[in-house]
Amino acid sequence: MIHIEDMCKVYRMGDIEVRALDHVSLRVDAHEFVAVVGPSGSGKSTLMNMIGCLDTPTSGRYLLDGMEVSSMNDNQLADIRNFKIGFIFQGFNLLQKLNALENVELPLIYQGIHARERMERAAEALELVGLGDRLFHRPSELSGGQQQRVAIARALVSKPPIILADEPTGNLDTKSGADIMRMLKELHVKGNTIVLITHDKEVAMQAKRMIRIQDGKICDDRAVV
Amino acid sequence: MKKLDIRLLRMIKHSKGQFISVVVIVAVALLIYMLFNVTSINIRSAVDNYYALTNLNDIHIQLVKIPKGALSELLTIEGVKTVQGRVSFDVPLQVENKDERVNIRLISIPPDEEKINILYRLSGKRAKLGIDNAFLLEQFAKARNIGPGDKLSPKINGRVHELSVSGIAASSEFIYLMENEQAIMPVPEKFGVAFVSEEFAQSVSGYGGSYNELLVIVEDESKMDDVIDRLEKKLDKYGVKRMIERKDQLSHNVLIQKMDGVEKMATILPVMFLSVGAIIISIMLSRIVQNDRMAIGVLKALGYSNLSIMSHYTKYVLAIGMIGSFIGITGGLLLAGPFSQLFAVYFNIPLIRIGIYYGFIISALILTSVFCILSGLIGARSVLRIMPADSMRPEAPKSGKRILLERIVFLWRRVAFSWKMVIRNIMRNKRRFAFLVLGLALAYAINTVPLFEAEAFTDIFELQFGQYQKMDYTIEFSRPMNKQVIKDLSHLIDASIMEPELKFPFELKNGWREKTTGVIGLPRSTRLYEFRNSQDVKVTLPEKGFFITEALSKTLQVKKGDRITIKNFVPGKDDIVITVSDVIKQYLGANAYMDIEAMQELLADQQMITGVSMKSQDEVKEKLKDVYNISAVNSVADMKNSFMEYLDTMYVAIVFYLVFGGILGFAIIYNATIIGIAERNMEFASLRVMGFDKKDIFRMVNRENFVMTFIAILVGMPIGLGMINGIINAFSTDIITFPKIIAPSIFINAAAATIFFVVIAQLAARRKIYTMNFIDALKSRIS
Repeated sequence: MIHIEDMCKVYRMGDIEVRALDHVSLRVDAHEFVAVVGPSGSGKSTLMNMIGCLDTPTSGRYLLDGMEVSSMNDNQLADIRNFKIGFIFQGFNLLQKLNALENVELPLIYQGIHARERMERAAEALELVGLGDRLFHRPSELSGGQQQRVAIARALVSKPPIILADEPTGNLDTKSGADIMRMLKELHVKGNTIVLITHDKEVAMQAKRMIRIQDGKICDDRAVV
Repeated sequence: MKKLDIRLLRMIKHSKGQFISVVVIVAVALLIYMLFNVTSINIRSAVDNYYALTNLNDIHIQLVKIPKGALSELLTIEGVKTVQGRVSFDVPLQVENKDERVNIRLISIPPDEEKINILYRLSGKRAKLGIDNAFLLEQFAKARNIGPGDKLSPKINGRVHELSVSGIAASSEFIYLMENEQAIMPVPEKFGVAFVSEEFAQSVSGYGGSYNELLVIVEDESKMDDVIDRLEKKLDKYGVKRMIERKDQLSHNVLIQKMDGVEKMATILPVMFLSVGAIIISIMLSRIVQNDRMAIGVLKALGYSNLSIMSHYTKYVLAIGMIGSFIGITGGLLLAGPFSQLFAVYFNIPLIRIGIYYGFIISALILTSVFCILSGLIGARSVLRIMPADSMRPEAPKSGKRILLERIVFLWRRVAFSWKMVIRNIMRNKRRFAFLVLGLALAYAINTVPLFEAEAFTDIFELQFGQYQKMDYTIEFSRPMNKQVIKDLSHLIDASIMEPELKFPFELKNGWREKTTGVIGLPRSTRLYEFRNSQDVKVTLPEKGFFITEALSKTLQVKKGDRITIKNFVPGKDDIVITVSDVIKQYLGANAYMDIEAMQELLADQQMITGVSMKSQDEVKEKLKDVYNISAVNSVADMKNSFMEYLDTMYVAIVFYLVFGGILGFAIIYNATIIGIAERNMEFASLRVMGFDKKDIFRMVNRENFVMTFIAILVGMPIGLGMINGIINAFSTDIITFPKIIAPSIFINAAAATIFFVVIAQLAARRKIYTMNFIDALKSRIS
């Protein structure tokens, strides 16, 4: 599913060169639930940007679902993101002007799906995350946990092969955070591939595999039971 | 340099596109302000100097005939300082091309040096005028490429005379050279003035020992009315045709009106520009303050007062104001010189002194400071609300309320998703949207003005010489004739319609309001004139009473049914009181019309006519060129050609205005887009993550801008209409009345121009979307 080979990402800040990813190689298979964990500045966000096709590496290869994506241009990457990856962010990143249903519909619009089907599928996704009674609520009318569930529904709606969650519980209280993690585990049970990025080891321990990253290098990669 | 000032510089660098666009608006505003005002002052003072230097007459009197000896008597009139008599008459000039009609006014110069309307001799300064030479007016000489030594062949009373050009002169009386009030614009190659010796003028015109015009200088201009009354009484027996004060003198009048127009623009345009600039500045600054929330919180926590932080942001605006002012004022001053020269050349003012008027610099700076500081304070006022503790937390998201349209479920459901986004985004900040729409509407309205002018000028001509007057030629006799002359003419010319005309200038009086105007007598059944009243209803000349034009009714403050006095200059004929039967439309010139028979009986003599108008495909000019007693053959086709040439110069003004409107439109859309992008960074980043590409987002922003543009155009239409009405009122004169014809093409073309600049602004703002770092945006705050 995800196949990263000898990937480097180097940022330049004036004369200083920052090696955010330093010869990283990684493989994630379909239906896995992987947590990438590491402290601030370890390179986990850069890794997530690479996995999520939000950025391109300085060197190395990245095969996603069998496709070489490291050398794709901006528009091709946008396509890949739309069809292959469902994103869940710490900050939810919902559009305030749209209600829950419309927020979930967004990825389908890009795919050119007809309005009626779009609505049905979005409503279905919201039903799945337990928000069937909140379809027409605005983000500002929902709690943090509910907003994150809308974000999960949005990530699921286009049925992408991978769900990429970046600190999904970071802005939530303990109970809401636990709810979200339960939901992710359920999604994994249903066969979704999930990559979770977090600095919280407790959260990471709920995945089935934990990869530790430090100074741009993978320093530990083992299964969790 | 203080740390905050360094930060200010960084702020400017970061928002340089927006900064520059607002600086341009301020600079253009001040450039127009300085340029137009300084030019106007330069021209006005040059004209005043010129008048003083050449001793331009205060009163110009046209009369039937006055003997030379009677002049000394006039000097005894209280308030009269100097009097000078002259002979003046228009005659055709023979030129190489026989089909070309060129008229020349021959004006006599006293044998000793002229005391009034002294010629400004450009060449041949020492030449003396005799019976075979003349000085030629500069504009005419230039237009026809005539120089000293060349010959002129005026045809006077059927005989061609030969005059050699001894010199070229400018005259303060003919700064703006127009044949008469009916002329729409100067056509210097068709009409000129030659100054000849009194001896020559009197001998060829039959005015031996007498004059038909007087020039008067008064002692005290404030007592002008009294002097005119006394002169009228004294001159009554000599048949005063017209008494023209300097303010009504054709050239002076046009010149002053043009300068008034320039000054009006010098106020209106800068205020419009600065208003739009202020709108943009306040929106821009409120966005910057919003972005700087955290930094402001930190500064406040460190002990900076509200005042010091606000002044930091106000400095940003002042920087815009200062740089804009510097460029605008310097540019205005630098351009004012050449621009004044250009005007001076256009108006044929030989002397011009370019001045620097510090008063304008100061008022320009005050104007800019007021606009900038006010908009800065409005924009930065949210600084006051920021609490240090709050500012450390990420900004709470704006709640997305339901908009009114959403409540109309039936309609809302039918709106496409992408349009829903657009509508909601617009509705999110209604006040700002309203301001931006207003600014863009102003830009649009500015565009309608020159387009209206071009349209109006064409319409004026088409209406006047297509609908209201249907003749092909008008023929003027050199002296009043018996109407039997029509029979003679019909033997010479093959015309489908030929009608007599009786035309004299009379003074019309309503109480203290008076105006000298051409009263035209026509057959009641005229087929060459069509009269339409203010309601656009066709009306026929009455048996008694007369019609006056809208312009005249405005000047004299009379309406249908009112009675006014016609002062009769014809010796032996009394003044008459007559009813205004209707007020009619006429766009060029201001006349009064009455039944020719009634006019003959009341104001002139039985059977008398002064000209003929006709519809004819015949070679009228060729056939009448050697006919005695014909002073002019005017062809409507010639006038049309001259008019079309004049329109070409109009297009320069149109482009000028369109660029002004364009700069405003560009700045508004560019800034609104940039600010919008900055505010919606996160939203766009989210969309980008979900797979929307840059083009999709650009398209979305475009849609919003076009909705804004569309609404602005709708709002701009009544504003444009208001401006057009203002132009109609401000620029309609006795010579030209602008028709209130609002053609759709004005608004369509103005919209096209506005949209063009909006597209340019969008393309300029596109880079911001294309280079947006959406990864950073995603991390920056909670949605």
